[in-house]
Amino acid sequence: MKQLPALVILFWLAAVMLAAVVDLQPDHIHLEYILAAADHHAWLGYDDLGRNILARLLSGAGVSLLVVSAVTLITLSIGTVLGLLAGFYGGWLDRLLMRITDIFLAFPGMLLAIAFAAVLGPGLNNLLLALCMTSWVGYARLTRAQALSLRQRQHVQASEALGASPWRLMRHHMLPLLAAPLVVEATYSMAGLVIAEASLSFLGLGVQAPQASWGSMLRDGVRYLLVAPHYVLATGISLMSLVLAINLLGDRLRDHWDVKRA
Amino acid sequence: MALVLSSCTPSAPDTAVHMGLAQAPVNLDPRMATDAASARVNRLLYQALVRFDAHARPQPALADWQQLAADHYRFHLLKPVPRFHDGSAMTAHDVVATYQSMLKPGASPLAAEFSHIRKVWAMDDDTIDFTLDAADPEFPARLIIGILPAHLIAAGHDFSRQPVGSGPLAFVRWRGPLVLQRQSDGQRYVLEEVKDPTVRVLKLVRGEIDLLAGDLPPELLVYLQTQPALKVEHTQGANFSYLGFNLQDPLLANPKVRQAIAHAIDRPAIVRLALVPDSRLAGAILPPEHWAGNASLTPYAHDPQLARQLLQEAGVHLPLTLVYKTSTDAQRVRLATILQAQMREAGIDLQIRSLDWGTFFDDIRQGHFQMYSLNWVGIRTPDIYRLAFHSASVPPLGANRGRLQDAELDALIDQRDWPAATQRIHALLPYVPLWYEGQFVAMRRGLYHYTLAADGNWDGLITVTRNSKNDHAD
Repeated sequence: MKQLPALVILFWLAAVMLAAVVDLQPDHIHLEYILAAADHHAWLGYDDLGRNILARLLSGAGVSLLVVSAVTLITLSIGTVLGLLAGFYGGWLDRLLMRITDIFLAFPGMLLAIAFAAVLGPGLNNLLLALCMTSWVGYARLTRAQALSLRQRQHVQASEALGASPWRLMRHHMLPLLAAPLVVEATYSMAGLVIAEASLSFLGLGVQAPQASWGSMLRDGVRYLLVAPHYVLATGISLMSLVLAINLLGDRLRDHWDVKRA
Repeated sequence: MALVLSSCTPSAPDTAVHMGLAQAPVNLDPRMATDAASARVNRLLYQALVRFDAHARPQPALADWQQLAADHYRFHLLKPVPRFHDGSAMTAHDVVATYQSMLKPGASPLAAEFSHIRKVWAMDDDTIDFTLDAADPEFPARLIIGILPAHLIAAGHDFSRQPVGSGPLAFVRWRGPLVLQRQSDGQRYVLEEVKDPTVRVLKLVRGEIDLLAGDLPPELLVYLQTQPALKVEHTQGANFSYLGFNLQDPLLANPKVRQAIAHAIDRPAIVRLALVPDSRLAGAILPPEHWAGNASLTPYAHDPQLARQLLQEAGVHLPLTLVYKTSTDAQRVRLATILQAQMREAGIDLQIRSLDWGTFFDDIRQGHFQMYSLNWVGIRTPDIYRLAFHSASVPPLGANRGRLQDAELDALIDQRDWPAATQRIHALLPYVPLWYEGQFVAMRRGLYHYTLAADGNWDGLITVTRNSKNDHAD
């Protein structure tokens, strides 16, 4: 049972790899099967254009995981670098960077992402950009707070007294100690990104038709809730399983590394 | 004590007819209304000089007319002349005041229809004369604006929120839902906006609304047909859906490419499987039953092989990538996705751009598109062919959004030779004609005598009756 979150995430990763290797034809339309129930070809039934829901779920998982991986990688890097610089140097650089993060924090992240996506226009690239622009702030605040504390540690001050460069201090003496809280933060952030990607696609600001996305599948599924509940249920349960698994994994990692006490 | 007791007494049964709308009306001033819901409500609140018969020929409504010269029309109000809902009697001066108020520059978004009126005046209380800058044989068909009381126009009354007309239904109030009342028997109507189609359907099933007309995915209509407390009626529609091309685009300027796209679409399959019942294939903007319709147009058959061959003859390298713009409306995106899949078979890679309505329509008007899809709704006169295809009608002067320039077609339109003009349009293919979507109404079994209209108007409310005994039995 303890391994369930990891197993769910592994299942979705395997599914995404399968979808990448095997052509499941997620965009193939059969008008005769519009909203038809499950059969031996489509184990989860057909959508509002007669497409295989399972094939589209796997394809949509690929989009979700791509967005989550790319945005996490980019924002983690940017947020960590900015937070580390602010925490290490302090002074006007700290004040400037923190005022910028305050401005971003003043708006609800999702609302800001919607605004960016609306201005930039729909599409996967713009979706990535919108999420990147709003998701780096958490990492920057966390890194800066940790860096302020680490800067006063004796091993850092000893190394500085021995003439180590700022780069060496940050790279070798501070960053390794930041890894654990950042990974836990990243895990929670990833669950939020799955929801954010689905939300933007739900609003029509994410990937464009016919590319599958869980958000757009949810939007379409809700329209047919009365006549084809299997459509929205399959998508909703998939989304919930991935988000819940990532959150539980984050909890597990936090407990394992004892981040609060660290 | 009496107050407490009275509050516990069951309230009188609600006999009003509740109608669920996908979109509430915006403006109840007939001179200003440009959205479909407002136009449909205004038809109930006001009366116009003319109406249309089943073949869309103008017929006398408030007034009969005679053409005194090519540019001079005289209208006589028919007896008995109706009264406005505020009790005042309608006269020719009200007609004159209504049209004069529209002729001022910038006074009405519909003013372009009347820009050629040189003068309008009342000969006496029952006679109105119009003189025009140019001959216009279709002029009576334009006079479908609801007539307003002259004294209220002079007083600057706000008709957009407090309409006063002479139509079969009178305005009661508009705070939240719009409440109307039938003049003949006092039957009340409550028109409330319920945007979400699923919620609208659930409200109808639960009896919170009594009827809804149009604006539902076909699958939900099938669901409604299975509900024992409801009945669904449908009929053929006349609102034209089309796929438009930008003829200034180097690829789409080639007629073979446009023909290839027309042959790549399996319209019969879409009409049969993805549209509401009674939808039918379209050949031209005006349906065949219209007096200017053309039933002899040969449809472009679905033939992906022929489409590929035409593209190769046009010297196009496959796959041909084209951008297709549409709104974010779910049914529109759904149809775009079907077209995309069908065109893929013919070697066309259709890139869908789903844009919010304002951006989408602005792009279309400015010619920033390769392909798009839209509807023509409530079209009654063949002047639509001039508006949509004449060389002189490129936006902002008209709606020739594809920038079609064809001298032969211009001449046919100027000569009002509609069979030849529609044939020429069919050959030039500035639009791929798609379909006329069917019209339907779903209502509770206690309602009767709602008559469906091909253009989806709500005139059925004028005749609808409620059998309260049957309704409660539901």
